[in-house]
Amino acid sequence: MSASLAKPSAGTARQPLLDTCHLVETPEGIDLVLHPAGLVPRALAFAVDLAVRGAILLLSFLVLGQFGELGLGLASLLFFLVTWWYMVLFEVLNQGRSPGKQLLGLQVVHDDGTPVGWAASLTRNLLRVVDLLPFGYTLGILSCLAHPLFKRLGDLAAGTLVVYGERPQPHPSLPEIDAQPVPFALQADERRALLAFAERRARLSVGRRQELAGILAGPLQVPEEQAEARLLGIARELMGPP
Amino acid sequence: MRLSDSVAVLHPRSPWEAMDFGMALARRHAGLLMLAWAIPAWPLLALLSLLLWESPGLALLIFWWLKPLGERLPLFILSRTLFGETPRLGESLRALPGLLRAEWLASLTQRRFNPTRSFDLPVLLLEGLAGKELWQRRAVLAACRGKRGAGWLTLVGLHLELALWLGLLAFLYLLLPAQAGVEFDWQQLLEDTPPDRLWLEHLTNGLYALVLMIWEPLYVAGGFGLYLNRRVHLEAWDLEAAFQRLRRRLGSATGILLLATGLVLAQLPGPAMAEPPASQASQTLGRQAARADIRAMLGQPPFSRREETTRWRFGDPAQVSDIESLPAVPADFVQRLAQALEVLLWLAVGSGAMLLAWRYRAWLAAFAGRRTPAARRAPPRPPGHSAPRPAASPTLPADIATQAERLWAEDPGQALALLYHGLLERLREDYQLPLSEADTEGEILRRVRRLERPELQHLAETLIRHWQNFAYGRHLPPAAVKDELLSAWRARFGSGSPA
Repeated sequence: MSASLAKPSAGTARQPLLDTCHLVETPEGIDLVLHPAGLVPRALAFAVDLAVRGAILLLSFLVLGQFGELGLGLASLLFFLVTWWYMVLFEVLNQGRSPGKQLLGLQVVHDDGTPVGWAASLTRNLLRVVDLLPFGYTLGILSCLAHPLFKRLGDLAAGTLVVYGERPQPHPSLPEIDAQPVPFALQADERRALLAFAERRARLSVGRRQELAGILAGPLQVPEEQAEARLLGIARELMGPP
Repeated sequence: MRLSDSVAVLHPRSPWEAMDFGMALARRHAGLLMLAWAIPAWPLLALLSLLLWESPGLALLIFWWLKPLGERLPLFILSRTLFGETPRLGESLRALPGLLRAEWLASLTQRRFNPTRSFDLPVLLLEGLAGKELWQRRAVLAACRGKRGAGWLTLVGLHLELALWLGLLAFLYLLLPAQAGVEFDWQQLLEDTPPDRLWLEHLTNGLYALVLMIWEPLYVAGGFGLYLNRRVHLEAWDLEAAFQRLRRRLGSATGILLLATGLVLAQLPGPAMAEPPASQASQTLGRQAARADIRAMLGQPPFSRREETTRWRFGDPAQVSDIESLPAVPADFVQRLAQALEVLLWLAVGSGAMLLAWRYRAWLAAFAGRRTPAARRAPPRPPGHSAPRPAASPTLPADIATQAERLWAEDPGQALALLYHGLLERLREDYQLPLSEADTEGEILRRVRRLERPELQHLAETLIRHWQNFAYGRHLPPAAVKDELLSAWRARFGSGSPA
């Protein structure tokens, strides 16, 4: 630790840029972007699942309790099922989402982004027993906090990952403006930035929009006031015909 | 602060992801952050414990109440770290007094129980606002559910601290050897702590401080991530960074060149740009040419892969010619020899197979044959195990004893057989003995004994002994036996045939 404290700025400069994405390269050479989910949403999802399970068990015990010993036997079976199979069944049959995860927009997948299977789901859920040690998920919490992909021990053993599921993106709307030619060659990320500027225009304040566009007024060779309109025109051109 | 110096990719994220982002940032500098939190906090707890030795609960309460002040230094370090200026531990600690001064009273009183504390702290500390301006700025940032997630972060953090604390306690308890004799009387612990147990309570407080050392920097980082994300949403920091990079690139020499060409292109008349590309008629390819082209292209990497392998193999043609040049045996002879050898080898194989089949014929008959072999249908009875049946006559003579007496002269064995047969018949009919074909003489005797009739038993024993002697050993019964047996038989069964 002392070594890293001795020359911190030199060490940080070499590190790759920090991001919350996890890239998985498919055999076809395509980068899949996964967004691993951290401790807070996972803890909340677990709390929801715990509540759901508690409710199921409470209700069934109340109902089955009326039937004497047969009811107690059935209740014990149900207890086993809900304790050990609740997560596995939901994860495998519902695209990696238990009700809690679904509510929080989470999803369990294999490390390579494929849907989670029986073996992996069973492994990661049986290992909860280890994560629980010595009390209240201590090991699981520490492992989740320390791992770069927020994996607890069960995830490490099963080779699974909890990620944010895909959310439907709102269709971007560009302002109605005439397309203008792109005055200089643009790289991919620069095109994306210009498009994003046009798409997120409505959420930025007027002053901030002008300030941002003003940065490029020089290269565009326009006065600062017209830079925004010019940028929007270029974005329309990049977007292609509507 | 230059956004392009950021060590992280800034773009709009969901609140959850923003928290994760902050925690990932904190993880990069976990050692520094934890030390920066612990170096002021632990001595403080030690001091509080010494001062309030008699009431550990109060010491913990004060320590817990002061928690928001401890969140300032990690935030300071995180904010510097984001733009690549990670401060050293000494620098950070020197900055601490200045950090603590800002609005410390409000943090400890009216905002102590604010669930969005982690989100509000950066506004106060990093933007350096105070009073009404601070209040307005907070309202702007919090508008439109801007601080969504901060409350959840605090709630989860609360439970997390508790879980980790109890986990550490449980761990400690597991480590205690059974022989230590420390017995926790929980009820006593709850009611009143005896003075000799105070150290235990202070140890527990220390464990809480240990938990906070791990969680507090992460909590601060989560709030910082939320704050940062909000500003990225509101002010498009990512776009600013991208635009600045673009301007810098265009500002360099190549950029000017590109710009010049771009401008030239832009001033060209429109139709010139719209003119279709040069006619491709000259490039028309015949089918043959195209095929050749394709073949040539497929012959090149990455479509084809050439590989040279060196390995041993038989029959180099040059060596064959060498052998032929030797003084040769006539080819015809070699041919015949080879054929003879082949025949011999096939014969060997065939006879081997037949030998095997012969060796395992019993096994084959038992397991591979389609029909049950005769041997299995009637296996030879093991001698002594079950009785060789006397020659069964379908109908017994009316007077067995007289018949036997007549037979005895010429063939005593036949006479014995007849008597034995008659005995079995009688046992079956007169005494209802459940005799079966499989019963041995021993079993029959046992059944007779169970009837507890001494005369019958004596008769049966004598008869069976002599019958066995004859059947297995070909020992003819002595002549003296004849009268005894016959008289006993008549006495027992009379002379009549079974009814």
